[in-house]
Amino acid sequence: MTRFQRFPTAPARLVLAWRAAALVAAALIVGGLLALSGRDVFVLGELVLRSTVGSRFGLEDLALFMTPLVLTGAAVTVTSRIGLWNIGGEGQFYLGAIGAAGVGLYMPGPQIVVLPLMALAAIACGMAWIVVPTLARAYAGVSEIITTLLLNFVAGLLTYWLATGPWRDRVTGALASSGRISDAIPELWGVVHWGFPLSLAIAAGLAAIMTWTSWGYEVRVSGANPGAARYAGMPMRGRVIAVMLLSGALAALAGMFEVAGTVHRLQGGMADNFGYLGIVVAVLARRSCLAVIPAALLMALILDAGIVLQTQQLAATAVLAITGLVLLLIAIGDELAHYRPVAPASSTRSGAAA
Amino acid sequence: MIMLLTGLLTTAALAGGVLSLAALGEVLAERVGVTDLGVEGLMSIGAATAALAAIASGSPWVGLLAAICVGAAGAAAFAFAAVVMRANQVLCGLATTFLGLGLSATIGHSVAGLPLPVTFGPEPVPLLSSIPVIGPAFFGQNLLVFPIYLVLPALLHMLLFHTRHGLNMRAVGENPAAADAVGVPVQAIRFWYTVLGGAFAGAAGAYLSLAVIPSWSEGMVSGRGWIAVALVIFSGYRPFNAAGAGLLFGLISAIGFLGQARGWPIAAPVLNMLPYLGTLAFIILPVVLWKRMRRAMAAPAALGFPYYRSVR
Repeated sequence: MTRFQRFPTAPARLVLAWRAAALVAAALIVGGLLALSGRDVFVLGELVLRSTVGSRFGLEDLALFMTPLVLTGAAVTVTSRIGLWNIGGEGQFYLGAIGAAGVGLYMPGPQIVVLPLMALAAIACGMAWIVVPTLARAYAGVSEIITTLLLNFVAGLLTYWLATGPWRDRVTGALASSGRISDAIPELWGVVHWGFPLSLAIAAGLAAIMTWTSWGYEVRVSGANPGAARYAGMPMRGRVIAVMLLSGALAALAGMFEVAGTVHRLQGGMADNFGYLGIVVAVLARRSCLAVIPAALLMALILDAGIVLQTQQLAATAVLAITGLVLLLIAIGDELAHYRPVAPASSTRSGAAA
Repeated sequence: MIMLLTGLLTTAALAGGVLSLAALGEVLAERVGVTDLGVEGLMSIGAATAALAAIASGSPWVGLLAAICVGAAGAAAFAFAAVVMRANQVLCGLATTFLGLGLSATIGHSVAGLPLPVTFGPEPVPLLSSIPVIGPAFFGQNLLVFPIYLVLPALLHMLLFHTRHGLNMRAVGENPAAADAVGVPVQAIRFWYTVLGGAFAGAAGAYLSLAVIPSWSEGMVSGRGWIAVALVIFSGYRPFNAAGAGLLFGLISAIGFLGQARGWPIAAPVLNMLPYLGTLAFIILPVVLWKRMRRAMAAPAALGFPYYRSVR
């Protein structure tokens, strides 16, 4: 009888196969539930396809969804390389949006000067937002999962307060929204702005840094085997701090792109779960900064499909439940990929060893 | 002054009960070595289910029972992935939170924002409720407050620290291989206590939507599940501390409410930040200030690690 044994490593082809199975299972479950609620799954599926990859509007939406997802996904991926979880992407996204909006609203000047300043302000705010969890992790060993996460709620409230209080729109009186910011990232293709190619370039650049620089090597070793890294004299604490700050900066940049490229205002609730979905993207990408791009594409497809479902009288949050289901099944699939069939236990060697 | 104190403590006991109940459940799961980050989602779906069931049946107790069942079922799905299949606990927890938040908004759509016809109203206990300050807070409110702060923590404390079964539970959390070697069913204990912890989270959701708010709306849990997870760390994985920490954070929220009611010159969103900032301070400061606390309050050694019998 064949025996399945767990190996410490999971080969890529097994991971891909199990993940494909997980996605099919998720699609079957969602389809089954939709069918049970009396909807025609095939008509719905065709509608989803047509309004995502089958039309120009769908493709533009896809690119707009991908832009923040690539960055928040990369933010979580870089911390996962050193063995940490930055669950605070949502909050850093908000802070990036706040920093960018602050400069955009109150700093006159030519676009070519203001836009880079907006990005710099966003990055500074995002880094400032992750400083406390970073230092608590590096010097006191406090789990970064809860600390980064709690700050998300604070950042959401801060954004809401700014957008309804000091920075509220005094011209049109839009609800929970700041005034319109005139400085915008130039558009590239339809509503798709230059933030899209820029975010792809950033992901590729991060992949290059992680793969080819000694800094990236030290980060990877520190994550894979902290004991070995310490023994080799690598500055673990410094690397942890640098990686966490980088992560905060990436998520904040996503917020800046959203403000200057898509929304053009600071709005309460504008992060729209992009920070949390970045975690899903990072999980899908399996710690590879380059794989963040296809992972973000898949996530953007799910979000885009969610908009279609919304037009079919389904709550907007149904897409969050679908994401959760996909994540749960993929987590199981990733674990199953560690198992491989081995020779039967009755062979003489294993019998002697036992 | 007495009036003010009584009012503050009453609000604190009411609002903190949600955190205490959820934190008690998480203590159970984490003591046996499972980090259940799905609390937020389980609470949310518990709150929605409780509202629906209370409206349908006309009894808050049916709502509570339904929420407990749904919380346990959700935790069973989590435990199937994280304990039985041994998938990554952080991921499974986040997935459970997403699922819970998404599903609760979907099923609760029809009753969102409606005031509930049946709730857990105040039912003062005779004599006890006339004790100054603590009487109205713990015995003058709904019938769940007193059990949450005294009965349940006492039961869990007895279970964990004064029974043989509790010793086994803690062994599973500290050193599952050793527990396995003496015949303790590691996987079964982890699975069932994670499910029980989920039942607590579901009950916490029901308590939120039937006694504290009382109504269901999307996003009403607003991080209380995450605060509960943080409180468990802060409480050193001890039931009485967890319940007390819940009360403390109820007090922080109560100060925020007081500020809004009295028209302090601080914006409401800023006052609402208090519980989150307080939680942050309370999990970082003790570790920084008292290095010796780290040992006494340390997490179970095997927390977060799935148990494989073959790996030695």
